[in-house]
Amino acid sequence: MQGTSWEAAPWARHGLSVLLGLVILLLGWYAPESEALPIFARQTGQNCVACHAGGQFPELTPYGRAFKLTGYTLGERTALPVAFMAVLTGTKVRNTNDPNGNSTADFPAKNRSVIFNTASLFLGGKITDNLGAFIQVTNNNYDHLSQDGVTWKNKFYSDNTDLRYADRLIGENHDLIFGFSVNNNPSVSDVWNSAPAWGYDVVPASAWGGAVGKIPQSPMLAGALAQKVVGLSSYAYWNKMVYAEFAAYRTANNSLSALSRGYTTRDQSLPLLSGITPYWRLALTHEWGAHNAMLGVMGLSAKQHTDATDSSSPTWKYNDIGIDAQYQYLLDPHTVTTEVSYLHERIHYDSATAGQPGAYDAAFATTLQSLSNSSDTLGLFRVKTAYTYQAKYGGSIAFFNLTGSYNSARQTGVGSDPTGGDTLPSLSNNITGKPDTRGWTMEVFWLPVQYARVGLQYTLFNRYQGASNNYDGWGRRAKDNNTVFFYVWGSY
Amino acid sequence: MKNTFIALTIVATLTTAACTNLERSRSLGNPAVSGRVLAEQVCSNCHGRTGVSISPNFPNLAAQTEPYLVGQLTEFRGHSRSDPAGFEYMWGLSRHLTDEQIASLAAYYAAQNPKAPPVRAHAQWANAGQKIFSEGIADQGIPPCMSCHGPQGQGNATFPRLASQHSDYLIKQLMVFQRTDERPEGSIMKTVAHGLTEQNMRDVAEYLQTLETPLEAH
Repeated sequence: MQGTSWEAAPWARHGLSVLLGLVILLLGWYAPESEALPIFARQTGQNCVACHAGGQFPELTPYGRAFKLTGYTLGERTALPVAFMAVLTGTKVRNTNDPNGNSTADFPAKNRSVIFNTASLFLGGKITDNLGAFIQVTNNNYDHLSQDGVTWKNKFYSDNTDLRYADRLIGENHDLIFGFSVNNNPSVSDVWNSAPAWGYDVVPASAWGGAVGKIPQSPMLAGALAQKVVGLSSYAYWNKMVYAEFAAYRTANNSLSALSRGYTTRDQSLPLLSGITPYWRLALTHEWGAHNAMLGVMGLSAKQHTDATDSSSPTWKYNDIGIDAQYQYLLDPHTVTTEVSYLHERIHYDSATAGQPGAYDAAFATTLQSLSNSSDTLGLFRVKTAYTYQAKYGGSIAFFNLTGSYNSARQTGVGSDPTGGDTLPSLSNNITGKPDTRGWTMEVFWLPVQYARVGLQYTLFNRYQGASNNYDGWGRRAKDNNTVFFYVWGSY
Repeated sequence: MKNTFIALTIVATLTTAACTNLERSRSLGNPAVSGRVLAEQVCSNCHGRTGVSISPNFPNLAAQTEPYLVGQLTEFRGHSRSDPAGFEYMWGLSRHLTDEQIASLAAYYAAQNPKAPPVRAHAQWANAGQKIFSEGIADQGIPPCMSCHGPQGQGNATFPRLASQHSDYLIKQLMVFQRTDERPEGSIMKTVAHGLTEQNMRDVAEYLQTLETPLEAH
């Protein structure tokens, strides 16, 4: 489904952004504390700190995890189960110029601008004693460029969705929470923040969606299927010690496309998976004093058609496995959450792709091996620590390291020939044939009120697409992607 | 076929879920849900199933005196107890509890066996704390805690049980009494705690945290 365009003048957009921010702040200022909260807080009557470490998204407390695992059913059903969220952002990538010093098409207007980025509507909460929901629909004002290459178009689409049935059997020697979830993102059902859906990049950091200023490639498990599949998951959490989940997903097309990120059934952006894609998850947890910890593994196995519009096209097989851990310390006024994960992916190519010469081997003969392997690997290591004080001030630091096997065929932009001289490359060009990307993200934030947050992030890259310098053949350095990101987040 | 399967699953789930299950409900707005069920399905998330909490953010409730529990839940419900621990967590949870549910919850926790979490005692602090607990600090106008809370810290009617309570929780509440008016129901403690130094609080809390007083002491 193509979104409708918003052609408002820039001044009008800025005006709306400012107005929205003021409305959120004013509502917060005057509304009674216990009412001025989004959907789940209204349902339980509790403050954000009950479910979120230091009241901050996205890190959950043990209580927040129990709330989610019991299907969002704790509390009272609200008469109007809706909440709103809006995000204003400003982004500045260090260098967005092409080799001639001109601004490139990757950044037509929104670099160095404050924009009203996304607005979301949440529906859900408690439906019955056993049934609850978390449904997010989002309007992204800068979803994609129109065909003129200049005008941004918005899109209104299904964001994370998690409809649950849950029950809890608790007695003298046992405590079993179990349930089912219909959702549209593998690991969105998870309750730990080392899971791909909830740990990193929760604030939408990039307005343009290009492959610049962020990790250019990830294993499929790290979000590639988010809002592109629909699945049924079953899970159980036994004695607050062992968590197990098994889910089966399929492409969110045809009758399920309403839960996709606004894709049509035959859309190249919507991966066409062959059959059922299983996802599984195991975790061991322990709480002691003000501390709690989790050690887990997860996996996903998918067959994806090389042509998303053709179900008879060959398939690439993705085998993903991850190991993750989380440690949390919660004692007022301090909270610390550290999450670490390593996701490993092996991709098996179809016979037509495997072992074939790359398309541009002549041009890159000296710098690239041009053969595709029969299979390749990707590894994504991420670690993040977040700290909050008095549920008002906080910060986080994260490190990421993407590695993988050498493969010119799969790396983005390799087709642009720097020796050809007739066209300028995209900033996402990669001549190294390697995905290797490494860097840090630091963030500080402040909450003037518990439903508004102002944050400043800085992401720096030591390595980008296989090199520190000249990864694109045009002299672009990894650090040219360093990004300052500012946001104002509000919800009501 | 797959779509049919998913649709059937959803319909079956909805049908099953439509029934209220009073034995396993987490509903806070339904007066028919018993105190025991609420304790198991809701309160246990923070306070433990038997009122023995793991995190010091949340007080142990096991073997707490019934009148004190009734009083606190009523105060939370009426918003007259307004310390952060109170309004952040408990105002919402208690807002529609009935008097019967409150009485039932209080009876449930009062009957549970206390269990002191294994903690490493700071011997010097605990010894000093024991002295404050038993004798008070005459110079600072501090009466002995045991005079109201019982010789074994077991509590007495609306004076709460203190034995085996988390020290961090005790210190924070002593601060609330001393420095705020957020717990008017315990205004007597404002006078009592007035002269306590922070070290006094640490001492007495350390002692009480390691004080193992059985339920039979009530």
